Amino acid sequence: MTRRDANWLIAKAGASVAGQAFLSSWLASAHEMNEGAPAEPDRWINYKPQFFSPEEFAILDRFTTLLIPTDETPGAREAHVAQFIDFIVFSSREYSPETQVEWRKAMDWLRTRHFDEQLMGKMSEPEHEGHHVFQTMKQLAVYGFYTSRIGLIENLEYKGVSYYTSFPACTHPEHRNV
Amino acid sequence: MTLAQAGYKVALIEAGSSISPAKDFHHRLPYQLEFRGMGQPGLLRKHFRGSTEYNYRIMIDDRENPYTTAVDKPFSWSRSRVLGGRTLHWARASDRMSDFEFKAASRDGYGEDWPISYKDVAPYYDRVERFIGVSGAAADLPQFPDGSFLPAMPLNCAETIFKAACGKLGIPVTPRRVAQLTRTLNGRPPCHYCGNCINGCDVNAMFNTVGTTLPPALKTGNVTVLCDSVVSHVLMNEENRASGVRYIERFSQKSFEVSARVVILAGSSLENTRLLLLSQNGGLANSSGVLGHYLMDQVGGAGVTGYLPPLRGSAIRNDDGKAGGLQIPNFNNIGKSRAAKFIRGYGMSASGGAGMFPAFAPSLPGFGSDYKKQVKALYPAYARVWMSGGEMLAQKENFVELDPVVRDKWGIPALKIHCTHSDNDRAVYADFFDRAQEIFHAAKGEITSAKPLMGVPGGLIHEVGTCRMGDDPTKSVLNSFCQTHDVKNLYVFGGGCFVTTGDKHPTLTMMALTARGCDHLIDAVRRSEI
Repeated sequence: MTRRDANWLIAKAGASVAGQAFLSSWLASAHEMNEGAPAEPDRWINYKPQFFSPEEFAILDRFTTLLIPTDETPGAREAHVAQFIDFIVFSSREYSPETQVEWRKAMDWLRTRHFDEQLMGKMSEPEHEGHHVFQTMKQLAVYGFYTSRIGLIENLEYKGVSYYTSFPACTHPEHRNV
Repeated sequence: MTLAQAGYKVALIEAGSSISPAKDFHHRLPYQLEFRGMGQPGLLRKHFRGSTEYNYRIMIDDRENPYTTAVDKPFSWSRSRVLGGRTLHWARASDRMSDFEFKAASRDGYGEDWPISYKDVAPYYDRVERFIGVSGAAADLPQFPDGSFLPAMPLNCAETIFKAACGKLGIPVTPRRVAQLTRTLNGRPPCHYCGNCINGCDVNAMFNTVGTTLPPALKTGNVTVLCDSVVSHVLMNEENRASGVRYIERFSQKSFEVSARVVILAGSSLENTRLLLLSQNGGLANSSGVLGHYLMDQVGGAGVTGYLPPLRGSAIRNDDGKAGGLQIPNFNNIGKSRAAKFIRGYGMSASGGAGMFPAFAPSLPGFGSDYKKQVKALYPAYARVWMSGGEMLAQKENFVELDPVVRDKWGIPALKIHCTHSDNDRAVYADFFDRAQEIFHAAKGEITSAKPLMGVPGGLIHEVGTCRMGDDPTKSVLNSFCQTHDVKNLYVFGGGCFVTTGDKHPTLTMMALTARGCDHLIDAVRRSEI
């Protein structure tokens, strides 16, 4: 979590009493995680969408926060997943223009159907006509979240890419018999 | 190194740039990269085959170095052009081949035996292992010969469960043998378990030539390294001797010649063969007509993946740190047991735990808080069994030639590759799928992957053959010391000499055969034979 993110969260969560309690427990738990992992470069705070229109970006933001919400741990919003997706789709223009076509179609589909939480639920079902749109968007959103510092280090508590003196051996007798 | 230490002056000519692991490699998490590891969308898939955003700058750009295939016969040729080449980001698995492989033809009647047996190579395996450092444990299996090992890396929880499952099925297993130090060796520090190996090791705890064999070679003062120098062909004189090589300076496009008493090609299996094809009409050292033929990769593809329920929701550990796993050596067609459906065999690997990216997450159904919690719970339980290498049969119809039209950036004709799998190769892969499922079930694991797809040839990046060794000069290009039958002062080191792929990772055998070839070369020069 960057200082700017923290400021943003404090401003948001501090607005209510419940929010304050949530924030203090959350910040305390952050200390138990892989603190040695480097900070995420500060590239999203002032990011302006380059591919999606403001209306599309609002839909994208809604989709990603429904997919990976902020609950006991930070979610897609704090990890700037919508911004990441905009950057990736924008950067597809040179070697993967088909990606841009796919996302524009996905956005048209969602916009004409007035995307909301209810539609999200329906689209998540494999039989639904919008399931391929759901999967396309989910795939990149999940990638964006779990490759961010918030997703990888704070949520998943990934321990690699650090310096250790030994590799952790299994110490569970129950794993020796299946 | 061996040649420089014996007092010979060596010019090492490298087509790519120079590199310093300490300066150029460092730990990086995906969020420190512009595209989080995938590279600019489409770029790596289209032009930098088999690479990631971490390492593509030291891989080959297909636009500068094209190769061609028939439309319906894809071949994935993953290449690196930099000092140290693919040793900078290889998977480090270091297995010895056995006589089940060297003498396979005598056992099942298919193809040719190697002109060497295990006892010829064993001393060189010893020498190489002691120098590069291979961590592993003795398994006492004739098909998976033991070596001079550093202490093995411990098994993590998933690997321990898979080991128990294999025990139940009567399948022997051993920690994957890897050229990764578990203690200091020859001034190189032990592994620090960052798991960053294939993106380049910053301290040379994993074997790569730049940090391991090159420094002692340079210390002799006998080696001149010429980087950014693209060799275009071997020069020959009127006495049928190789007199040197011609190379093109990568940036200026200027052409130079280096003369030498002995010429050694060591630029990877297919680049070596390409150079021989470029050096003489019809191919240099090709009186046998087999140069370019018998191209092989190993059989492989996607593995079987799923979860190990006892690990669901367990504490996150550094499972990613050794980037290794459990090795399940081949057990097919060994001793009296004969697989009815195919000849030869395959090795498997198994591992699991909290890897970097939760690969299962995009296809895990659902969304919202529940979904997020499920990903977290399954993260340490993720597990997979994959094929570490299956034997692909040597077939003369699988071959490389020079493309009549396409040339690289320096005007040098590109390779055209023709390679397809045989029915036996497909049967080997089908059997792997059955066995991998059995192991998963014995581990009481839950399989979530669909039936895996067999990879296209080249996909394992174990391409070998096209310059095979043999005792009979009418059926092979090289003798058992990797010296060409036709030109006595021309040696070809690497995977080109392989007669079969076997079921082991090929690199250790390439290194052992190179050490053996160097001894032969030194001896031959001393006796004035070359």
